[in-house]
Amino acid sequence: MAVKVHLHLTLRQFTNGEEIVELDGKTVGECLKSLVRKYPAMESSIFGKNGKLSNIVEIYVNLQSAYPNELAKPVKDGDEIHLTMMLSGG
Amino acid sequence: MLTDEELDRYGRQIMIPQIGEKGQEKLKRAKVFIAGAGGLGSPVSIYLTAAGVGHLRLVDHDTVDLTNLNRQVCHWTADVGRRKVESAQEKLNKLNPNVTVETLSVTISEENASELTAGYDLIVDAMDNLPTRYVLNKTAIGHEVPFIHGAVNGFEGRAMTVIPGKTACLRCLYRGPVPESKFPVIGVTPAVIACIQATEVIKVLAGIGELLENRLLAYDGLNLKFTEFKVQRNPQCEHCAHL
Repeated sequence: MAVKVHLHLTLRQFTNGEEIVELDGKTVGECLKSLVRKYPAMESSIFGKNGKLSNIVEIYVNLQSAYPNELAKPVKDGDEIHLTMMLSGG
Repeated sequence: MLTDEELDRYGRQIMIPQIGEKGQEKLKRAKVFIAGAGGLGSPVSIYLTAAGVGHLRLVDHDTVDLTNLNRQVCHWTADVGRRKVESAQEKLNKLNPNVTVETLSVTISEENASELTAGYDLIVDAMDNLPTRYVLNKTAIGHEVPFIHGAVNGFEGRAMTVIPGKTACLRCLYRGPVPESKFPVIGVTPAVIACIQATEVIKVLAGIGELLENRLLAYDGLNLKFTEFKVQRNPQCEHCAHL
């Protein structure tokens, strides 16, 4: 059992449409690094400069906001990370 | 007191035990500020008018464009070129003359937001950009009134209710500025989110139900899924930490 990462709609273009990717990692940061290693084209959609999360990205662990310090949040097998995007239209 | 016409007009919602005549009178006495008369603002204002919220202030600086008509249902083909607030007011008045629809064709800014919203029971976020949303978030906190957040993109949407001093606010999750760009959207998406916002407004005013407090409701229209994310107050939030 690994960590399930639920990807936002706009990120699924990099995974051939797959919404959920199973990855290993002890923290959110490790899981996202694994994600980007598996799908390198996704990196610039998730991370901005200096390896920080893009301002538009939101991370939830088991449906609970991981903000702030999202990358340092611990996760274990069976946990679910939602990687979603802030919306601004109206 | 409700008139005979109002008892008739709102009869079907008065039948709802959580509303009743007392709830309807609360709606009638209420004053709601709606920031925006576009994709979200159109359905929000239509449903709050239909429900009999007594006083609405609708603010939008824009004029109707053909590109608005796939979603901004207060505005019709013949309205292209008109101020959105005038176009909306005309339809809302015809829908329900019992509701006072006050309109202002101005740009909401840091400088005027407090004055524009003073005396209103809550603020509805029907904006199309984040910077003004944060202005309204801060303003709602300053007035200590609920802020009903909504946002859309394509087939996706989200909604959350901010109760100053009690729940997370929009700024509690802020990481930094986000570049603004033209967003894709189909009318059914803001329709869903606006109806959720209008539902929250009615619940706040009538004092009923469970609000989207510390709950960010995310809508995926393509897969017809709702996901509820839990959020929490940020003790360092520059908008609400002092409350």
